[in-house]
Amino acid sequence: MSTVAVDSRTLHSSAVARGDKLYQLGQIEPALEAYLAAAAAASELVPASICLKLARSYERLGSYAEAYHWALAVVDAGDDFSAWQTGSGLAQRLIMNHQPVVHRSVKVALVGSYTTTQFTQVLQLATARLGIALEIYESPYGQYRQEILDHNSRMYTFAPDFLILAVHEGELVLPTYSASPQEDVDTELQRWTMLWEQIAAHSKTRVVQYNFVTPCESPMGHLGARLPGSRYMMTQTLNSRLGEHAGNTVSIVDCERLSALYGKQRWFDPRYWHLAKQAVALGALPLLARHTAAVISADLGLSRKCLVLDLDNTLWGGVIGEDGLAGIKLGQGIEGEAFIAFQEYLLKLKQKGIILTVCSKNNESDAREPFEKHPDMRIRLDDLALFVVNWESKPDNLRLISKALNIGLDSMVFLDDSPVERAAVRQFVPEVDVIQLPPDPTQYTRTLSQYLLFETSWFTPEDALRTQQYRERAQVMELETGTTSIEDFYRNLQMQAVVEPFNEFHLPRIAQLIGKTNQFNLTTRRHGVPVLQGFMQDSNCVHFFLRLCDRFSDHGLVSLMIAFHRGDGLEIDTWLMSCRVISRTVEATMLEYLCGRARQLDCKFIRGTYIPTTKNLMAKDVFRTFGFDLVQQNGEVSVWQYDLHQKGGIMNQFIKAVISNKACHERT
Amino acid sequence: MSVHEQLEEVFREVFNDCNLLLSDEMTAEDISGWDSVAHINLMFRIEQTFRVEFSGNELAEFKNIGELKKYLIRKGVHE
Repeated sequence: MSTVAVDSRTLHSSAVARGDKLYQLGQIEPALEAYLAAAAAASELVPASICLKLARSYERLGSYAEAYHWALAVVDAGDDFSAWQTGSGLAQRLIMNHQPVVHRSVKVALVGSYTTTQFTQVLQLATARLGIALEIYESPYGQYRQEILDHNSRMYTFAPDFLILAVHEGELVLPTYSASPQEDVDTELQRWTMLWEQIAAHSKTRVVQYNFVTPCESPMGHLGARLPGSRYMMTQTLNSRLGEHAGNTVSIVDCERLSALYGKQRWFDPRYWHLAKQAVALGALPLLARHTAAVISADLGLSRKCLVLDLDNTLWGGVIGEDGLAGIKLGQGIEGEAFIAFQEYLLKLKQKGIILTVCSKNNESDAREPFEKHPDMRIRLDDLALFVVNWESKPDNLRLISKALNIGLDSMVFLDDSPVERAAVRQFVPEVDVIQLPPDPTQYTRTLSQYLLFETSWFTPEDALRTQQYRERAQVMELETGTTSIEDFYRNLQMQAVVEPFNEFHLPRIAQLIGKTNQFNLTTRRHGVPVLQGFMQDSNCVHFFLRLCDRFSDHGLVSLMIAFHRGDGLEIDTWLMSCRVISRTVEATMLEYLCGRARQLDCKFIRGTYIPTTKNLMAKDVFRTFGFDLVQQNGEVSVWQYDLHQKGGIMNQFIKAVISNKACHERT
Repeated sequence: MSVHEQLEEVFREVFNDCNLLLSDEMTAEDISGWDSVAHINLMFRIEQTFRVEFSGNELAEFKNIGELKKYLIRKGVHE
């Protein structure tokens, strides 16, 4: 550790001691000041003990919002179970006086085969840190089968959004050695998938299954790794098979990987197992909680979408403007190789759908040079959705990127080697997540890999193309400035759309859009896959999606609608559109198709509802724009009606729509 | 801080009572909220604070606070 760190440590420990003394004397305000001084003297991450002291002091002073903030800051300080437990208790108490800003409230049933009492507490803290408020139902110890198989159980009455199946390896009915491993694994697999099916049949909850941790003790030794009948290998096979069966309908928390990350020796502590049936050691619970929270957050569509990268000392070593193309560290030597490895890791994130952008203080021509000329550069300019190089402040540039790509600041993650820039971003655009890069570039990849909010719930081929689509979107913006009228602009795009009813193949993308679209989303109803499958069976349900392409790119599946035929009308249950294609007249094409369907069904009117949220303001006027009349206003919620006889159909002259064969077939 | 004071600190955290005072004769009966769950939290925190590892038996059983302190001192924790 460097001397600077040691100095700051002595500095903050003396401030803490001063604070403690004052706090004990009941002088809370001066104590708080001392603790704040300690926090400022600490590195960027304030130690958990100081976070808790700050939280308590603020609570005593009645500043509940600040107290809550510091209780949650324990999560960022590290995986210290005891501190988490205290922080969680504090946070629970504080929400009685302080209404925190939450992105989502969800009900979670924790259904396990081992003691989960402590886990419940730390999970609540981990999700709260992500802006997810949990209501938890913890099933009685070891009762997971009864809770799932008894359709009148308290778990079903609770009606959870998520069910965490927290089970451990000891539950597996597998012998140390089996002469027929395939059969045994099949039987075991069925036991678990049957539970999933039961849950799906009797609730709308999404299952989060913990997979099985192979234990440290290995009676078969290394032979076990080449003997398909060994319990060790059967457990591994079972984990793979569970993953295959889970597909898009069940989430998995890969405990096998987490236990290896944490250290299997410590993951399972036989003393606490025999004492209290803790199949996961208390010390490992914060890690497990953070990962579980990340999986739930991804399922809720709250994952981050875009990574904003600095250049100098982030993508290469040195400063391009000073060291020049030949002088920067990239390719050769320890750091040079590390920067290559880091760039390759970034490209892997791009591959799974994370949008890469650059934000750097540089001369643009200098900044471009390595991308265009350096032989060891892995990231190319066309891997980037946006290249923002200027001398403006980073917070301003982040806002610009947010606007240009039409994604929220709370979808962005900032990566910069400079602690000063990181501090500026934390202060001025707190919605943006900031990753604290360590000073040593060989640690960059690992640090980034420990950031959990790039977790995604689905993978569709469209994800791999996302940066390109956003890039093309930015190009379209450039084109826009060259055309004289908006009509010319639309015509210039040569847009074509394909409209199709929902089908199994597109269901993952449909569910993904429903799960995460916030802005152009009229009702923000988060229907899950089982519900959607129900709609597809329902003859009164009109459902369709739209794929859009233009002369620049194929945007893929970008809008969808679900409506129900009731009486003389069609009622729109869900209508949403990806923000990639906002202001492209896609809305008109969606309504054009809906009008067509309404006529076939002899409907007299179409009715739509707008339910406002904090994010969907942009969709507020869509019904009015297309000539719907406001017929009902229930508080914030407005209901709109379009009279088909009186007004005729809606047409869009800018998008050439093709009704796909499948749809035509269905219509006839 | 003495072992006694440090231990007191741990108890105050676990039982969320900043006025809690320990004496050697105290047992689980004397502290409200000391149930099996609190016991696990307590033992984990003591192991962490004093950087010791109890045996299975020590984790589960001790006569009173005095005996718990004896365990700690036996493990090399200094007064």
